[in-house]
Amino acid sequence: MRLYSAASEETLRARRLLKEWAGEGLLTQEQYQRLEQETVCDLRTTNIFLRLVLFFFTLIIVGAAVGLFFVVFLSHSSQETAGVFFLIFAAVCYAAAEVVASQAQAYRYGIEEALAVCSVGFLCFGMQAAFFSSRIDSSTSYATESLVPAVGALLSLWIWHRFGFWYAFPATMIFTASLPAYWTPLHATQHVLVAVFYGIGLIGVVVMRSGHRFGYLENVYSLAEALLWLGIYLAINLKLQSLGLSTRWRFGDTWSSFEFSRPFYWTTWGLTWCLPPIVLARGIRQKDRFVIAVGAIAAILTLVSNKPYLGWQRHTWDPIFLGMLLTAVALLLRRWLSRGTGGIRHGFTATRLSGKGKHWMNVGAAVTGLVSPQSITPAPPASSPDPYFGGGQTGGGGAGGHF
Amino acid sequence: MNVFARLECWEAQGAISPEQHAHLASLSRGEPFSLFLELNILLYAGVLAFVAGLGWTVTTWSRQIGDVLVVTVLSSILAACFWYCFSRAPVWSFAETPAPTSVFDYVLYLGSLVWCIELAYLENRFRLLSGQWDLYLLATAGFFFLLAYRFDNRFVLSLALSSLAGWFGLTISKWPSHQSAAYRQYAIVYSLLVGVGGTLLQRRGLKQHFFGTYLNIAANVLFWALLSGVFEWRSSGLWFLGLLIVCGAALAWGLVRRQFAFVAYAAIYGYVGVSSLLLRSFNNTTGLLSYFVVTGVAMLVGLILIARRFGRAE
Repeated sequence: MRLYSAASEETLRARRLLKEWAGEGLLTQEQYQRLEQETVCDLRTTNIFLRLVLFFFTLIIVGAAVGLFFVVFLSHSSQETAGVFFLIFAAVCYAAAEVVASQAQAYRYGIEEALAVCSVGFLCFGMQAAFFSSRIDSSTSYATESLVPAVGALLSLWIWHRFGFWYAFPATMIFTASLPAYWTPLHATQHVLVAVFYGIGLIGVVVMRSGHRFGYLENVYSLAEALLWLGIYLAINLKLQSLGLSTRWRFGDTWSSFEFSRPFYWTTWGLTWCLPPIVLARGIRQKDRFVIAVGAIAAILTLVSNKPYLGWQRHTWDPIFLGMLLTAVALLLRRWLSRGTGGIRHGFTATRLSGKGKHWMNVGAAVTGLVSPQSITPAPPASSPDPYFGGGQTGGGGAGGHF
Repeated sequence: MNVFARLECWEAQGAISPEQHAHLASLSRGEPFSLFLELNILLYAGVLAFVAGLGWTVTTWSRQIGDVLVVTVLSSILAACFWYCFSRAPVWSFAETPAPTSVFDYVLYLGSLVWCIELAYLENRFRLLSGQWDLYLLATAGFFFLLAYRFDNRFVLSLALSSLAGWFGLTISKWPSHQSAAYRQYAIVYSLLVGVGGTLLQRRGLKQHFFGTYLNIAANVLFWALLSGVFEWRSSGLWFLGLLIVCGAALAWGLVRRQFAFVAYAAIYGYVGVSSLLLRSFNNTTGLLSYFVVTGVAMLVGLILIARRFGRAE
């Protein structure tokens, strides 16, 4: 079912680990060169930058070629006809992705990825145009229209399984999340259905990943499980959509409390507190980095959304306390771990064991350092001098939005 | 054959020692499991949330709180942060220096961000430099460069570079007839300054690991500036020539130094620039789409050749 053989993927994984260990000084250069010869793989890989550029140009070619076809041959065709051709293009793109991956042995090469992504897009466009472009506005036909995201979800899931593209899994989740809106106008039911879908997916992933512990598929399933936990959390937290609205920050918001029944509303509030510890416990038990990260994110989101849930007024100093809490947790955890025997407690350590963490910290530092001053520090005044320190979204260390 | 079977095989062959086998096998099993990255992200998020709340509170409540309290609190945090950093800093070195404590980098970052807030507050309230914001930014950039090099901190280096960019931007915005052309020229000056400065510092062996940050920022600003010049319909010739030269340089640099980000910059910025110039006279949809198909295929073939020849290493 998977496009690449397990042996090839295991070899690639061993090759990556060898490079990492050699970089860390755990292997001598002679050892690395000798062992590298034993991990020669027939799959063609490239680095992340060329992969992104190849992806970009493949999208351009496919988009332009399809556009050209429609302009030359189908400029006056009906939507249904165009839809049928989109479906054909979806099949062609998918077949091309299979050929590039299997015949040319491309592995995360950008080209086969763009072709697979195009096949999902064309399939959804094609189905919408071919079957639902002239629908009568009735609830029955609207429900039938849910076939479009359903098929999109299935194809994305298949691509995730067949090719192993991690981003096909969140695409599946997004398609799935859009399904309940076709079936019912009740928001509470929509939230429950999304959570149930993700819950079913979670059970499936947990069962499947148990047979791949420490294997090359572990990261794939780990990320899928983490995304499903996050999806469930986002589905049950009814207050997240209000967090971005600054007007509601100061005055609280109660709009969604009226939209849902009281038992449902308070059940979801309880769940937002129950889920983060469950996810964190699962992540720690499994020593799963992605699941631990989602548990931490869910815990922070629960803290941030708690006041709106309870209808309490939020204050400008709330982030100060949140920041102090996060810092304190990090410091205490680090201190507690470092006091264990050899800096290890229950199999966990706060010390750096591989160069990967440092590398990502460096990249993150460079990027976020450029962005953060613009988003955090107050702005210089505009033209009229205000005697008091007032508002602004940009400035300070990074200053002007003019540059 | 999974990685554990391979390790056993390599040990049996004598390619690795039993100690190496035990260590590498335990690393592959996640034993011990390092929370280094997670704890650092948590610290970083904590500092950001704290500073965001501080800035927001000062902005919203400065009138009620009063100048004395605001300045006292901000100055106290600032003094505490810098006292911590200067009292614990290791001896300065040209080479990369590890942070003396696990929180050192974040305390310095906190101090730098609080510096920005305090400076902005003081100028807004007391107009110490009569609204000369650009001078504040220039001084802040200089101060952050000093801190970044003294304490070997990339967070603060990025703050310094963005403050310097802010100084260029603010200086131009105060000119009576500032136009996009002026911004473009100053963006080029900024990128050249950052690029040449970074190169000189690297050549002198001064914190050579910062060079990548300088080069990436300089390259992106330069490409954006040149590309915006190419988009100008009237006088795009020189800008286009400049873009071609920079693309060629980025491509050569990327391939020779195996810095494939620069190959990607050259491909994307170059393609956008050339297409924008060539497609100006196109008013035919078929021709336009044909252009994208043909040039897209040409780019794809070229990039595949590059990937096969140079870019295999992950």
